[in-house]
Amino acid sequence: MTAQMFFIAFFGLAAVWFGIAVFRTYSMVRSALALLFSQTALGAMFLSMQAEFLGVLQIMMMATEMSIMAIFMVMFMMDPGGLSTMDMIHQKRLSLLAGIVSFLAAVGVAVFVDWGPVEMIAPDPAQQTIALGLELLGRSMLIFETAGITILTSMIAAISVAIQPVKQNTVPTITGSNHHEH
Amino acid sequence: MTTTIILLLLVFGVYLVAVLEAWISSGRFRLTTPILSGIALLGRESIVPRKPDRIFFEVAPVLLLLSAVLAATVIPLMPGLIITDLATGALFINAALVYVLVAMLMAGWGPDGAYAMVGGWRFLGQLIAYAMLIVMPITAVVMRAESLLTTQIVVSQDGLWNIFYQPLGFVLFFIAAMALAFLPPFDLPTATGELAGGVEAEYSGVRLAVFRLGRLTLIITLASATVVFYLGGWQGPWLPPWAWSGIKILAVTVTMLLAGRLMPRISETDLLAWCWKLGIPLALLNIFLVGILVLVIP
Repeated sequence: MTAQMFFIAFFGLAAVWFGIAVFRTYSMVRSALALLFSQTALGAMFLSMQAEFLGVLQIMMMATEMSIMAIFMVMFMMDPGGLSTMDMIHQKRLSLLAGIVSFLAAVGVAVFVDWGPVEMIAPDPAQQTIALGLELLGRSMLIFETAGITILTSMIAAISVAIQPVKQNTVPTITGSNHHEH
Repeated sequence: MTTTIILLLLVFGVYLVAVLEAWISSGRFRLTTPILSGIALLGRESIVPRKPDRIFFEVAPVLLLLSAVLAATVIPLMPGLIITDLATGALFINAALVYVLVAMLMAGWGPDGAYAMVGGWRFLGQLIAYAMLIVMPITAVVMRAESLLTTQIVVSQDGLWNIFYQPLGFVLFFIAAMALAFLPPFDLPTATGELAGGVEAEYSGVRLAVFRLGRLTLIITLASATVVFYLGGWQGPWLPPWAWSGIKILAVTVTMLLAGRLMPRISETDLLAWCWKLGIPLALLNIFLVGILVLVIP
């Protein structure tokens, strides 16, 4: 139990530390990967809490997601390497306020919600996986299917917005100016 | 004890892969090649490029090796010979191997070099192509075994190996595994001819040695995973279980190394197009067919 508490605390602190590291760098790739390792630490926390499937899933999903986020951050930021002195932090007071409010809200939820009796002995990992599968195909199916369809719809919408419209009449127009159209 | 044995076997496997790869690419069979090139790499200066992202540059080769070794911990070589028989084994292999991508991104971004950068981001595109073709065939394998335990997956293939039960899944997984290990024709991130080594370009000396060690470990791990998922693991007549595992892993490794030898390097666009327009529908079809088989055959 003591070892378990130690690991939960250790990975929890690691998650917080990497979370801080996200904002302490101007390099977009460092920032994205710091967020990844913060999430990986959360996955390790799940593992310490004997929620094996959840932990492994978290560790797996975040690696791809954060890496893909990294390339978007590199594409869209003016200084992805963070080599110049451009300040990328803004609205400091508002962010501070939002951070404190959401922290207090999270703590409030953790403290004041009645979580029911604490499970002293976690079920066997294989049993947990079966229970999770039954849950996903039973009570929670509608929620997950709705979320899945919503994500799919937004993906298709995002792609169709991103595709450049192609002009049907592709006859090159000759203009007298020096501008070249591509 | 089990851990030590498996790690030693992994080292031996890596040595064999290095010999085989040198044999296949150069046509000369020499048992000393890996040792000599290892000594040569360790003896050379390990140059740090100008203005690197030092953390990424140092971590990348180690992370590549680590993720390949972690994936190997859930692979059973015979009953009882497995480091940890996780209840989420089949998922854990994915989770560990995704960090190959993270290592490649770090190796691409870290040295602050153009070729490395192109190689690193190319591998991200490659992941978007192959990732679903790793996960979806494994889903079908798990459906038959009704368990994520890798040992249970091997046991479920008693009598009929998955390569015959779900050949479509095998073909997709095999191709995706080759792409994951960036073997030719999927060697886009290193691309000797056009990118001058790509992610490997700025590495030298001991760091390059670790990077190459990681890649060889990755190949042997993926070959072992293919054996566990599709070729019945340790099962087989007459010979002892460990021998069957060894023979099958060797056979898969040789096939992986030979398969892409005479093919031109695929372009990123084609890889993505084929994987998404052809591979994923086929993978879904595979899941559907296996679902029917699981329901019909008790």
